[in-house]
Amino acid sequence: MRNQTSAVRRDGRRQFIRRGLLLAGGLALPGLPRGAAAEDHPPIGTYPAGVQGSTVTIGIGVPRTGTYAEQGEDELKGWQLAVEHINSGHPLIREISPKTKKGVLGKELKIVVADSAAKPNDAVQAQQRFITENKVILMTGSTSSAVAVAMNKLAQREKVLYVTGISGSNDTTGKDCVRYGFRQNFYGETAANAIGPVLLKAYGKGKKMAFMTPDYTYGHTVTKSTSEYLQEHGGWTMVTNQVSPLGATDYSSYLTNIANSGAEVLLNVNWGRDAVLSTQQAKQFGVIPKMKLVIPYQIPFLAKNIGAELAEDVYAATDFWWTLEDKYPLAKMFVDAFRKKYGYYPEWGAENAYASFAMWADAVEHAGTFYPPDVIKSYEAGRKLQSMVGEVYFRKEDHQLVRPVVIVRGKAPKQMRNKEDFWEVTEVVAGAPLMQKPDAFGCKLGDYT
Amino acid sequence: MITWPNFVSQLFNGLALGALLALIASGLTIIYGTLGVLNLAHGAMFMLGGYAGFAAYQASGSFIVAVLAGAVALLVLGLLMERVMVRHFYARPHEDQLLVTFGLAIVIVEVVRWVFSSESKTVTPPGALAGITPLGFMLYPTYRLAVVGIVAMALLVLFLVLYRTRLGMIVRAGIEDAVMVDCLGINVDRVFMVVFGIGAMAAGFAGIVNAPIVSLTPEVGEAVLVQTFVVVVIGGVGSFPGAVLGGLVAGEIISLTSMVNPGYAYVMLFAAMTLVLMMRPRGLLGAQGRE
Amino acid sequence: MSWDRIDSPRRPLLVAALTAAALIAAPFVLPWLGAAPNTVNRILVWGLFGIGFDILFGYAGLLSFGQSALYGTGGFVAAYLLTRTGFPHVVTALLVGMLAAAVMGYLVGLVALRRTGIYFAMITVAIAEMFYFVEFNPLAEWTGGENGLPGVPTPSLSVGVTTLHFTSGWALYPFLGFCYFVGIVIALRIVRSPVGVVLRGIRENPLRTAAVGHDIHSYKLAAFVIAAAYAGFAGGLLGVLQAFMPPEAFTFETSGQLVIQTAIGGRGMLFGPLAGAALWLFLQDFLQGPLGLGATWKLVLGLVFVALVAFLRDGIIGGIRNVYRLVVRRKGEKAAAIAAPVKTPRAAAPVYVRARAGNGVSGPIMQTIRLTKHYGGVAANEGIDFSVEAGEVRGIIGPNGAGKTTFFKMLTCEVLPTAGTILFNGCDITGMGVTEVCQLGLTKSYQVNQLFNRLTVRENVVIAALAALRGKFRLDVMRRLGSIPGLDERVGHTLELVGLTRRGEAPVAQLAYGEKRRLEIGLALASSPSVLLLDEPLAGMSPSERAETVRLLKSIGQDRTMIVIDHDMDSLFELAERITVLQEGRVLAEGRPVDIKANAKVQEAYLGGLNGNPA
Repeated sequence: MRNQTSAVRRDGRRQFIRRGLLLAGGLALPGLPRGAAAEDHPPIGTYPAGVQGSTVTIGIGVPRTGTYAEQGEDELKGWQLAVEHINSGHPLIREISPKTKKGVLGKELKIVVADSAAKPNDAVQAQQRFITENKVILMTGSTSSAVAVAMNKLAQREKVLYVTGISGSNDTTGKDCVRYGFRQNFYGETAANAIGPVLLKAYGKGKKMAFMTPDYTYGHTVTKSTSEYLQEHGGWTMVTNQVSPLGATDYSSYLTNIANSGAEVLLNVNWGRDAVLSTQQAKQFGVIPKMKLVIPYQIPFLAKNIGAELAEDVYAATDFWWTLEDKYPLAKMFVDAFRKKYGYYPEWGAENAYASFAMWADAVEHAGTFYPPDVIKSYEAGRKLQSMVGEVYFRKEDHQLVRPVVIVRGKAPKQMRNKEDFWEVTEVVAGAPLMQKPDAFGCKLGDYT
Repeated sequence: MITWPNFVSQLFNGLALGALLALIASGLTIIYGTLGVLNLAHGAMFMLGGYAGFAAYQASGSFIVAVLAGAVALLVLGLLMERVMVRHFYARPHEDQLLVTFGLAIVIVEVVRWVFSSESKTVTPPGALAGITPLGFMLYPTYRLAVVGIVAMALLVLFLVLYRTRLGMIVRAGIEDAVMVDCLGINVDRVFMVVFGIGAMAAGFAGIVNAPIVSLTPEVGEAVLVQTFVVVVIGGVGSFPGAVLGGLVAGEIISLTSMVNPGYAYVMLFAAMTLVLMMRPRGLLGAQGRE
Repeated sequence: MSWDRIDSPRRPLLVAALTAAALIAAPFVLPWLGAAPNTVNRILVWGLFGIGFDILFGYAGLLSFGQSALYGTGGFVAAYLLTRTGFPHVVTALLVGMLAAAVMGYLVGLVALRRTGIYFAMITVAIAEMFYFVEFNPLAEWTGGENGLPGVPTPSLSVGVTTLHFTSGWALYPFLGFCYFVGIVIALRIVRSPVGVVLRGIRENPLRTAAVGHDIHSYKLAAFVIAAAYAGFAGGLLGVLQAFMPPEAFTFETSGQLVIQTAIGGRGMLFGPLAGAALWLFLQDFLQGPLGLGATWKLVLGLVFVALVAFLRDGIIGGIRNVYRLVVRRKGEKAAAIAAPVKTPRAAAPVYVRARAGNGVSGPIMQTIRLTKHYGGVAANEGIDFSVEAGEVRGIIGPNGAGKTTFFKMLTCEVLPTAGTILFNGCDITGMGVTEVCQLGLTKSYQVNQLFNRLTVRENVVIAALAALRGKFRLDVMRRLGSIPGLDERVGHTLELVGLTRRGEAPVAQLAYGEKRRLEIGLALASSPSVLLLDEPLAGMSPSERAETVRLLKSIGQDRTMIVIDHDMDSLFELAERITVLQEGRVLAEGRPVDIKANAKVQEAYLGGLNGNPA
């Protein structure tokens, strides 16, 4: 009867499905690389598949569109320069990575680039493709910390190393740290602890401060670190914190609130194009120069975009500024090489990018292999490295580079020696005292394999 | 924070925000009211007006030329779009109309991205308007004040066209009953084309006028589109006074909510729109039975 | 009998088998075409997301721009369980996410479905934006805000001695492929169920679907919840696929991408979204990668989309199907091209009539007491007292503007009276609603044909018959149409009554006008009403068609009460036993046809004067 036959058909279907599943399950193996492992390391992530040939590939996900596009392009130039230098065995690279001759362990570096538009989803998608298709042995790219955090997790899952691009959030080597991720640049906590004393000295105690914060991890952690420092050490009060979405274009509502808040100092944590727009509009609404502007986490090309008049006397904490060439010989080499290739003075995004690759090359050379756990241990060895800002080393507990923070102040237009001489370096603050205790932010590094 | 000076400032700021929304929304509402087509490309037109003006500004250095260019370019585009594409969709179900204008919006945005790249472009306001005006209770950028004036003038012109010219009368009749207008022997095809052109022009004009306030990117139209829906719904579909009132209401909702918590400003708009759609679907000034 | 449908596959088993075969073959074939495993996996997730959306949009005709809200809800609930609470079992978490999304879909549907068409679309946009905001801000603790929820694990399955780990790339593919397969099988069942048929009716003509006795709001809500469930499960799969649940799942762009993919691939065919996603992702990879066009890929996609919407309404799959049809012509269509003559049906045994004529119920079967309708200042109907006995055939006439159609609309509860009462079988039905009233046994055939134009004659009648057999709402999504007892008999009998038996497989568009009018009556008859209203059944007919129709109406009227409005007084006087005359919203006269003809007031109303004085 009808009911019986349909029951039989249903069962037939189920069996069919089950068999198909078993067959398909057998196909669950193709993702793993076949063949004997190189040397005596078992396969993991893209190793050894990604290093079989004479080249190794690095996957870069960088914003080329959107709010952080300008900074992203600058970072990309830094990476490209680093790859060029590593492949040719440039003297600057050899200062940072003494064992480098040509390439990394003799293999030529190649890069593949995708536009992340500062969105974690896009970055992750692109890098997943790079992993399966190009077998990248290293991933990088972030300008937004949201991307860095997502990439951290991807790296840990796929067992492919990741070095951050620009990432200012405490969380990247804090609660969202991973064994497979490393960060070179400065971040919220160190920025706050470096710029705090400078601000207190310049402006005194008991000031009222207003914050403009972009609504994501970077914004919240930088605002938190900075406001806490100033409150604790200088008795400043935060009268308002205007949180705006990433990519906002009209700041009139926020600035109106700020204008009426009675604040004396405006700390703008917005980044990229958001920083440019919010600062310009702050001027239009008379908030600046009524209040003093502070940029706790500096943005590449900010001064160029808002103009020297607006940047005058503004204090900012940054990773690098080209006038450091007078102080550090490696900085001079870098600035010269960059200017020669690209025709302008490098910003800190490019410098950060360059340094991160150079340090990776060093870690790999010292490990003698691309095998990720060994490279990780090489990073964690705590070797002292030379960089564009002096001697630095990686902290093994959270994979954060211990390095100085540079405090700059905007020059008056008439004091600028050339078109790009926006900032004066007022001090270079040593890094170690600025950092939180390794476990203070809840960092738990994961497994090696 | 809720203080009296802040309240007054935000109230004023809301006026400025609302004026612009009113202009864009009046374009959308006359298109929807007359043609029955919800123009999902309206935000893209706003953006394109900005870019057309930007290009003209680069070429000529004159802001006036830029504004004219933005308006005229969109008038032409609107006429073309109706004639070539939209016209063939009147007989099709509403969903198809939504889809085709949605698709055209994407095409417009991507063409702009292709020609101008994704980097943001700035349009500097004319020197005379670039300063700051003290208003007593707050300092306000002169250009934004000027925008209120410019938009008010544009709305006045639109009002005069709609209510004092023969064409306007036909358009208003068409909003009420397009079939009847057709039966009266008036070339409804031409009327529709003109309405679409005028609606597009309003969006484009708003786009270039707004450009000096925020920077131009290919994405500026998206947010504007959704906000414009809200205004049209609140004010009442097909109603020009409704669009103006709706715009002002929306502007005030944004700025007054910002006083308390800026993060919630735009969500309040959407909540207001949902509320209106549930309680009084014809909006504040819309005609009944237009659902 | 077979339920052959334009957009419902003839042999679901064949479709399912082909799908399974394609899914199994894919990992071997696709790499040759240069497809990356991650891309294929993404296509499957979008495809699954789209199945539910297609049921909502392609089948029920509800264009929602807010599916991202449900996608994100399901995804985040699943991801939260798996990452923050350490819930061990991936598949169960996915199912929980799906359930959460379904519940959320129900709540959202309650709000959004109160409006239709463009307003519905706009509400869904607003809801999508609100969900995104809420996910981002107030709920950031649970959703990770802009970071999303990283660390979503992949599923493993223990089969006897070994454990299968579905990790990533081709290793994850079998799991996703299986989920998609199950999704398709369930969807095939749903669209071929009575619920699926009713949804199609709602898409084609919501007014009539309600008028034949279906609670369309509940069906729409059901479609919405189904779409939400698919969306929620797909959202969970996204998290698994990326090892990370992104906030982008909630954005308007996600909803927009779904809509575009479905439109490109083809709506109402279940596989459309898969094809659309394949095209989208393929273009994205191909144009950005090998061709190096960068951001222009989206421009190409936009142009393709506009072209398809403009010229190829049925999308890619629809286009393929249409070409296939052209090549393999169906015999049924050829044969149905000949119009069948009307056969006056023999008086069949009245098996299905609800209340038999003259079965001893005391009092009139239908009655109105001082029924009034004002539109603003205009009194369309004023204080009408009217009653009809069971089994009677009553005619209603009156000059234009007399308020006849308004009267009918009130009788069927399409329109709310301003004042007065309507009684049906002694019950007060004032303000009940078309659907309830139809279920009680009162239906109407419309003045302007309200048919399901893109369906066949048979399918039209089935929709009406389903309401009679299943009540106004039943959620029998898994039931086969063929397993409903009495459906075939009822449909066959109705077709026979209106003389359309031989035209069953013809699409409505191919019918002659007279046949369409007969179908119109047939729809009202299918539920075996005890009272049948007919609004100008003879309008637009030639004399011979009129005569045929009058014969038809006479035979129909034998078994039930009928009230007929028409302007053709000769036909009406022949058909009706009593006539009511309306003028300017009031009852002018009532009586036997012969008396009405001679009534002076009636003559004056029509001709404007006694003694033949011209008006």
